[in-house]
This record gives sequence, structure tokens and C-alpha cells, in this order.
Amino acid sequence: MRVKKGDPFAELRIRVIDYKDEKLLSRFVTERGKILPRRLSGVSARHQRQLSVAIKRARYLALLPYIKGHHG
Amino acid sequence: MIRPYEVVYIFDSALEDEAIAQKLTTVHAMIQVEGAEPPVLNIWGRRTLAYPIKRHTTGYYVVANFNTDATLLPEFERALKLDDAVLRFLVVLNDTPPTPAQVIPAKGDDDEEE
Repeated sequence: MRVKKGDPFAELRIRVIDYKDEKLLSRFVTERGKILPRRLSGVSARHQRQLSVAIKRARYLALLPYIKGHHG
Repeated sequence: MIRPYEVVYIFDSALEDEAIAQKLTTVHAMIQVEGAEPPVLNIWGRRTLAYPIKRHTTGYYVVANFNTDATLLPEFERALKLDDAVLRFLVVLNDTPPTPAQVIPAKGDDDEEE
């Protein structure tokens, strides 16, 4: 399974990732809500840095869960 | 220094829309600087929170964009913090506005991409 994928954000023509776009961000977290490593998602280093900040902001704003499937 | 900021507010969804609008006007008066445009509001309305905040499961989201002086922000943030109707808020600098969702630029201008 060594398929080299292009940067999904470049394909979508996204330069600056929006932390409010939870639909988009949710594609880059695991089913538990962890941030996907770019080794799996093919995201460029530059976008992965943006993405991690965006996901953390989205979590703070309760747009994304910190842990999915957790009912404390 | 006047810079562009973006604030996301999460209000208590039990509040009336008018009460929220009024609160917004009050807090936005604190960051109003001479000659600056009034804040541009994007009201998302009520939505379910991904996890409960202060025992609330829904919140009323408002996004505001404005230009203001950074020296006005501490007092603005303090007012929001003390307001029980604000479940949460986030102030971020918005000097590189994000690419709008679903809007695809006409030509490929992202030359920095590799």
C-alpha cells in the first residue's frame, strides 16, 4: 500500500485552512477524533501545520470533539 | 496598531435572539475605533456542541470580523469572560483570511504549493 497521494488541500485549492470548516477538518481526524498523521493523509508539511492549529481551534469551539465516542 | 481580528462567540442557546444581538452591540462598542467599519457579523445560530460546555449541549454561534487596536482587546476579552451568557469565545488575528469553503479560485495562483 505505497500509493503516493497528492496534497488534498492543493487539490481543493485551499491555501489557508479555515478552522471554522468542521466538515473539511473532520476528514483529517481518525474515528476517535485524533489528528491523522500526514503519512496517511498525504497533506503537505505546510498544510499539516495549519491543519493541526485549525483542528485544535475547532475543538476549543466545540465544532470537533476532543475524543469521539466518549461519554463522560 | 489596527489589525483585522475574527471572534467566534458561543452564547447560551436559551437566550432570545434579541438579547444576543444586544450583547453583541455592547461588546462591539468596546472595540470600535475611529474610522473603522462596524464588525461584519456572520450568525450561524443554534447548533449542537461537539461536547458539553458548562452543562450546555447547544450553543448560539456568531462570527464577527472587525479591525481594531490590540490595546482594546484585553478589556474586551475580560468583559466576555465575565459574561455568563457567553459559553466560550475565541479571538484570532485574521491577517491571512482563510480560503472560503466551496469557493474555488478561477486560476491557479497557489505558486507556493509544492
